[in-house]
Amino acid sequence: MTQRKRPAPAPEEGRAPRPVEICAALATGGLLTFMLFSNSTMAAYTTPLFSSLVAHGVGTVAAAVALVLIGALWRPGASSKGVRAPLWAYLGGVSGALTVMLTSMTANSPLALTGTLALGLVGQVVLALVFDRFGVMGLRRMPTRNDLMSLGLIVAGTLLIIFSRG
Amino acid sequence: MATVVLLAFVAGMLVTLSRQINGRLAAATSALTSSFWNHAVGLGVLVAYTLVAGRFWPEGAAAAPWYAWAGGIAGVVFVAGGSWVIHRLGAALTSGLLVAGQMLSGVMMDLIRGTEGSGPMRFAGVALILLGVWMSRRGGSRRE
Repeated sequence: MTQRKRPAPAPEEGRAPRPVEICAALATGGLLTFMLFSNSTMAAYTTPLFSSLVAHGVGTVAAAVALVLIGALWRPGASSKGVRAPLWAYLGGVSGALTVMLTSMTANSPLALTGTLALGLVGQVVLALVFDRFGVMGLRRMPTRNDLMSLGLIVAGTLLIIFSRG
Repeated sequence: MATVVLLAFVAGMLVTLSRQINGRLAAATSALTSSFWNHAVGLGVLVAYTLVAGRFWPEGAAAAPWYAWAGGIAGVVFVAGGSWVIHRLGAALTSGLLVAGQMLSGVMMDLIRGTEGSGPMRFAGVALILLGVWMSRRGGSRRE
């Protein structure tokens, strides 16, 4: 029997996250601080639209270079995963580009950056809980009570920090 | 006002939506491939929008410092990292921990740069986030 290669273990219900997964998530989130710093600097020199255009352009080139390098250095047969992605799975970038347009509108409204960040955080978490609960798009993880408490603490702490900046 | 509140809320939902879609693509390809397509397709949309309503070389672009150009490189790792983590932790915990990492590093940057703000609130916020991150390790059994 040939074992089917899976990209990742199926999301189990309530499995305790491994420390490496938590650290990866925290480090990934930390990158956002640099991204915001970089992109908002560009937006201040030019416009939010141009800043996002540059970020996506540079990102496209950087990802292509990384893919070529990885492909040249290491051939794990990663393309033989066997599962084909539906066409819509390629459209994550549309949603990302729309986000930029919306937030640059709301950051210049009475909400300012603080309100934009706070409401965005809530919107993000609410939809994520709905996705997890109903297993949308092939990813499913039933939030446990512990997950919810952990999320609640993180959201509360984040809102405090956002509003501490005034 | 109600409209901008809704828009800001929707913007947050779009972040989750895009991470979920990219995670789905990563399941069939790889985290880096999903990051590539995320940036390439987003670039396509933004180029189309710029053609209609913007300029490809606005004033000030030449004067921007080098680090203003480098955000996209971090963005590639950010999207790939998100696609990797969402499979393991689900959307909600991924979202929470990414935000936690962002806030903790953001506060560090605020302190380094001496940004004005309420010290006690900031401290309480960091404490709550650390507690939340610490709790996330436990997973816990599902109750229904």
